[in-house]
Amino acid sequence: MEALPQTLLFGVLRSGLYALTSLGLAISLGVIGVVNFAHGEFVMLGAYIGFWLYVLLSGPLGLGPAVSPLVIVIGIPLSAVALYLVASGIFRLALRPVLRQPELNQMLLTFGLSILLVNGTSITLSPQAKDANLDWRFDVFDLGFASVTYARLAVFAVCIVLVLASYVLLQRSRLGKQMRAVAQNRLGAQIVGIHVDRVYEIAFGMSAALAAAAGLMLVFQTQVSPYVGLGTLLKAFSIVVLAGLGNLTGVLWASLILGLAEQIVSQYVPGGSALRDGLFFVIIFAVLLARPGGLRR
Amino acid sequence: MALLEVTRLVRRFRGLAAVDDLSFTVDEGKTLAIIGPNGAGKSTTFNLISGLLPTHGGSIRLRGADVTRAPAHTRTRAGLGRTFQVVQPFLDLDVLDNVTVGALFGSDRHRDLAAARAEAARLCAFVGLGEHLTRPVASLTLADRKRLELARALATRPALLLLDEVMEGLTPAEEREAITLLGRIRAEGVTLLLIEHVMSTVRDLSDRVVVMDYGKKLAEGTYAEISRDPKVIQAYLGTEAEA
Amino acid sequence: MRRDLAGWAAFLIVVAGLPWLGLGGDRYLMLLANVTLMFMTLALSWDVVARTGQLSLAHGAFFGLGAYSVAIAFKLWALPPLLGLVFAAIVGGAIAFALGVVTLRLRGIYFAIATLAFAEVWRTVALQVPDLSGGTVGIAMPPLFEGDRIASYYVIGTIFVLALSLSLAVRWSRWQYAVTAVRANDTVARVMGLDVVRVKVGLFTASAILATLAGAFYMPFITHTDPFDAFDIGRSVSALVFPIFGGLYTSAGPVIGTIVMRSLEEYLRVTPPWKDGYQVVYGLVIVIAVLFMPRGLLGLAQRYAGRWPWRSSR
Repeated sequence: MEALPQTLLFGVLRSGLYALTSLGLAISLGVIGVVNFAHGEFVMLGAYIGFWLYVLLSGPLGLGPAVSPLVIVIGIPLSAVALYLVASGIFRLALRPVLRQPELNQMLLTFGLSILLVNGTSITLSPQAKDANLDWRFDVFDLGFASVTYARLAVFAVCIVLVLASYVLLQRSRLGKQMRAVAQNRLGAQIVGIHVDRVYEIAFGMSAALAAAAGLMLVFQTQVSPYVGLGTLLKAFSIVVLAGLGNLTGVLWASLILGLAEQIVSQYVPGGSALRDGLFFVIIFAVLLARPGGLRR
Repeated sequence: MALLEVTRLVRRFRGLAAVDDLSFTVDEGKTLAIIGPNGAGKSTTFNLISGLLPTHGGSIRLRGADVTRAPAHTRTRAGLGRTFQVVQPFLDLDVLDNVTVGALFGSDRHRDLAAARAEAARLCAFVGLGEHLTRPVASLTLADRKRLELARALATRPALLLLDEVMEGLTPAEEREAITLLGRIRAEGVTLLLIEHVMSTVRDLSDRVVVMDYGKKLAEGTYAEISRDPKVIQAYLGTEAEA
Repeated sequence: MRRDLAGWAAFLIVVAGLPWLGLGGDRYLMLLANVTLMFMTLALSWDVVARTGQLSLAHGAFFGLGAYSVAIAFKLWALPPLLGLVFAAIVGGAIAFALGVVTLRLRGIYFAIATLAFAEVWRTVALQVPDLSGGTVGIAMPPLFEGDRIASYYVIGTIFVLALSLSLAVRWSRWQYAVTAVRANDTVARVMGLDVVRVKVGLFTASAILATLAGAFYMPFITHTDPFDAFDIGRSVSALVFPIFGGLYTSAGPVIGTIVMRSLEEYLRVTPPWKDGYQVVYGLVIVIAVLFMPRGLLGLAQRYAGRWPWRSSR
């Protein structure tokens, strides 16, 4: 029981990353209505950018202790912009023509993209998992009741800032209002003059940018490999499903629940550290069983 | 004899009663029309009767049997057919195949494929689609799609046919054709329950009218009676009852 | 239909005769033949479920469940593999029925997500019960028919014929109308008198049993598996890529799609840059098919060659 405060703390800290990862998915699902199976791969690509930055900054440039903060400061905008452009391109070339087709076709398309990206990365880079030995992953901050690595704190801080910034954007800005209008009523939005296709494109790009930022922060926590996408996707799905379709604030709560649940299960349930990986399944099916009518828009 | 008995039907959406303590009866051979302003709960009532929405209270009896909890397909096989306000043909199938679906599964007869297709062809001719059997549905005009809706519903051998705003979107000439067709359907022994906005249709076809507003039954009677009812006129404030 | 039946009969005669046409002596080719029939079974079973409008990502998991069922039955009760097939079918059927009922009312995308979650969790489960499943090390059993690949070919051949029969039976009977109506609009289908629950759950269960049988064959054929091999997401991918490529909602499509794509895969697997990432081709095929070739190879053939022995018009 002495471990409880630390467990809870870790759960909260972890939920930051989950919130950032799921927010993008919630936006593309809520605004465009498309389930982006490649979302996990956007995260993965962000992680690779982070890893590449780490190698560049610590290797040839030999920047030592400045590497960790620099990876964040340079990496976030870099990965966000890069994936925004990639997603924008994907939208124009592949997704937009399919939006008028049945839902299942859209799903298949993003699923195909996911496979393309995973295996494309595996071929062009390498299927091997890589570790970024950032010093923040090892430097520890002692809080008395718990010791936390700088990495966990940094990940949480960055993710929360980005999530809050996104909320502000969605609530206050003109673009945000347009996105919410389109999410609620596509036809009505068109009638008042909103250029729906452009809003879709921006929403998709934004969801990829958020995913990429989340991916970048992943290098502070775990190994990077082409295959991190699927697990990430499933967790994000479980959060979005739990939060309820279109409920963006719910994403914060659902992320918190998942983060805490994982830590608690991992700490207190026998054999928990492997069960932790199966929590997404429990959440998804529990929600689906409780709301058997499915989830409405 | 009472073909359909709706008793104290209730359906709520997020606390708001879309259908509130609604009761009426449809007698065999007597056409009943349900009218009312937009949002009165008419389509919801149809969805409750045909089994697409669960009720929150009340009961529905079809030919004396309680179907309140029965799934939609059971009600269809028991003799309840319906068309939809926004026509919904099976886009992946051609005209004949659309109707064949109803012929195959809508009742306990015609389980044999060849017989079902023959019946479907007969019904297509009956509604005036005889020339278009193999056409893809997407190429049909609105009037023809409505004919298809009708043929498909008829293929399920209904005793009671629910018609949801059949006249919507039709030209006056098409409306007249539709009324003739509905008359022929009636002559085949099918009882009609309509939701309509076009008052001339209601006047010409219905034996009795139920007026709904805010989910409740506002008035009931013959067309002449309800069109003089001050409550009804008030509910339609601003809308002239067509003479 | 009679013309199609003749075509299929001819095809089956060729398939049955393959070992006698000179292939029998070559162990590698017989391996390919066995595995191709296995994948054709998987592809046909996936296609049947797709006809009701449900995009299942769980078929690879049923494959893995089949494999583990046979292996565990052998380990616990020394159940010989042929009986193990029956056991696996029962297990797979029961689990599929439960999954089908639970996911019944889910709209297409949520159904897909649910099946994906279902598929992914089994690997964790298998790792959690090492006493039963062997954990990361995996589980093994003696080879089917002591490694006689011709004998095993006829076993998987029988399973394949079952799958083909289901696929053709749905197409050539009134069930073709049922599945197409359910796929096109399941609300209206209900109003047309269709018991949509029975159609969806029934077909899903039958299809999953076939996928389970394919996996149940795989286990004694390959003699060893582990959670990462048995529940490899790649198999769920294959299950859907082959029919999409060959032609959805047909029987010839999954068959042709499997033959073409697996041949390509065999080549890519041993060719350097593609070795571990050969599935990139699958991703490419899906994207291209959705964008340009929604009816797959058969659709293309129909468009350019006019009539084709296996019509895919309905």
